[in-house]
Amino acid sequence: MVDIPHKLPAVAPSTESALRVRLRRVRELSASVLANPTTVLGFVLIVAMISMAVFAPLITEANTPDPYQMPRDWGALNEPPGTDGFLLGTTNTGGDVFYGVVWGARTSLRLSLIVVGITVLVGVLVGSVAGFRGGKFDEILMRLVDVFLSIPELIFALAIAAVLGPSFGNIILALAVVFWVKYARIMRAQVLHVKANEYVDSARIIGDSGWNIYRRDVFPNAITPIIVQATMDMGHIVLVGATLSFIGLAEAGLAEWGVLVSEGQAGISAGRWWASTFPGLMVFLWALAFNLVGDGLRDVLDPRTETAR
Amino acid sequence: MTESTMPIASIRDLRIHFRSKAGVVHAVDGVSFDIRRGETLGLVGETGCGKSVTARSLLRLNPMPPGIHAGGTVEFRGAGELPVELTGVDESTLRAIRGNRIAMIFQDPGKALNPGLTVREQIAEVFYQHRADELLDDIGLTDRAGLVRTLIAREASLRSRWIERGLLRVPPLRAHRAALRRAVDDRVTDALAETQIPNPRAVMDRYPHELSGGMRQRVMIAQALACNPDLLIADEPTTALDVTVQARILDLINDLQRRHDTAVLYISHDLSLVRRVCDRVVVMYAGKIVETGPTEDLFANPSHPYTRGLLAAIPSASHQRGALAAIEGTVPELVDPDPGCRFATRCGFATPMCETTDPGLAPVAADHEVACFIHHPVPGGVGPAYEKAAT
Repeated sequence: MVDIPHKLPAVAPSTESALRVRLRRVRELSASVLANPTTVLGFVLIVAMISMAVFAPLITEANTPDPYQMPRDWGALNEPPGTDGFLLGTTNTGGDVFYGVVWGARTSLRLSLIVVGITVLVGVLVGSVAGFRGGKFDEILMRLVDVFLSIPELIFALAIAAVLGPSFGNIILALAVVFWVKYARIMRAQVLHVKANEYVDSARIIGDSGWNIYRRDVFPNAITPIIVQATMDMGHIVLVGATLSFIGLAEAGLAEWGVLVSEGQAGISAGRWWASTFPGLMVFLWALAFNLVGDGLRDVLDPRTETAR
Repeated sequence: MTESTMPIASIRDLRIHFRSKAGVVHAVDGVSFDIRRGETLGLVGETGCGKSVTARSLLRLNPMPPGIHAGGTVEFRGAGELPVELTGVDESTLRAIRGNRIAMIFQDPGKALNPGLTVREQIAEVFYQHRADELLDDIGLTDRAGLVRTLIAREASLRSRWIERGLLRVPPLRAHRAALRRAVDDRVTDALAETQIPNPRAVMDRYPHELSGGMRQRVMIAQALACNPDLLIADEPTTALDVTVQARILDLINDLQRRHDTAVLYISHDLSLVRRVCDRVVVMYAGKIVETGPTEDLFANPSHPYTRGLLAAIPSASHQRGALAAIEGTVPELVDPDPGCRFATRCGFATPMCETTDPGLAPVAADHEVACFIHHPVPGGVGPAYEKAAT
């Protein structure tokens, strides 16, 4: 018997439920996403780091009263990695680097989830209204976007810290205020693009209402670049957040990678490399992982854009 | 006139303008014609002559703004219903007509189907929109809808169909859900089977990208004809298909039209196609009708110089290479057009009077009207004539 090299899609049985049709689609998509080894690598890294964040209290005992403050042992300053009780060494103020790395994942996850969640929600809403309703809505909302677009994120975060005092919550606030603009613009462009398709006219001529057309025809076909962008921003936001806390906009001693890097930087010239290197590596891995997965998603969801290989 | 002889739709002095940077474009400027019950009417003209805008005004699909409804009426008389004036009707009535009494199929079926929904979902939507009552009946929820209605004391009207819709979207019981699924599936299968799609049950669960161009066009036709509309607007339905599929799709539309007594408005620039399928033809030029008549008569005795030019431009198998007869010049700017005949700038027979006075449509034979002074009495000055230009 001759092997036929490519498989034809099996004809769906008539009893296939709507849910199973959807599942088939999801399976096809995830199979093609996972066919790319770098995407799988990114995915594994993400799963590992998120589990580290979620199970942080099981990995190292939570510090009391505030688990997001690194525990300090003033009797063990500048211990190198591998010292008994301090797997990754301590900082020059006795902070446990291992604790900071593990709980820093939790801080980073919180930061990226909250910021991406808020900005995607607001951006998609604003972009959809502007693109779908058009006219005056579009005009007003896009001018608003222009205003926010002219705010430099770093300086804005500094200004907020100056007014409200340095805290990690304020970093989240500053980033959320600045980042939604990008999504609003992407979503508006997508909605305009999708709206010009004949199937939107086609939905109107079968008598669909505006909301129904948005829900069924516009939104699902416009959202994919947002998914890709949001995935990449999960990494990017942590990078920016670490930068902001590195320059001192977060609380001192917070279990956060940027804070830890800045605590350790004084010791680098004295050969105490560990306090900065491990959290820096974590920031790098976090950003890399989400970028890899974002790239993989784009290849599958939006095949028109070429990615450099 | 009795109902059966009344035209299904009457367009009277329709004017649709578009605001643009250069000024107001008179895309459709005083167009009047009837579409009769069950007939096939061809709307012919070159790109930009306003034929699509005219047809889309039957569904009020022209974007406003930048479009402006500058005047005229579009009256639609669905079978057994009161006439509706489509340019002024409210949104919910319009939605009840769209897809139900008037349907439309597009040029490129690849673009007219949502890539993210299966064939079933796209066709089922028509039934959800327009056959909610029947579906509720099928799954035994009519009483419940009535009960809800009594409880909140609202009258059943097009405006308050949300109770039915809600019950359909979220059937209260698992048994209802299964019954609804069967009811919808049966209707979708029937609609697909009408278009002679092989194995409709399997096609239902396909996504558009999994189908060929001809199949997609059939799906679109199935969607358009799902509710047995009185009028089908076909905007160059076969231009994107290859010739063999084209013929089969045309036959299919023709067959369905005859069985359901649907009127079809064909928009096309393909005169040989129009000659084959249409009962009557309306020729448009630069936003106005220049000639209208029964297909045979119009093709045998084209009376307007533009129609003559169009017919002469069709290449036939006996033509010599390179001997194509093009009409000189291009379509005039439709921003603030001159008062005269719009074809005057390209017409070989035009006299100075043609540029200042607009010849209205007037009959030259039974059912055959033309807008040209060659056939009409001239109000003053020297009129055009075919003989003079020949010398």
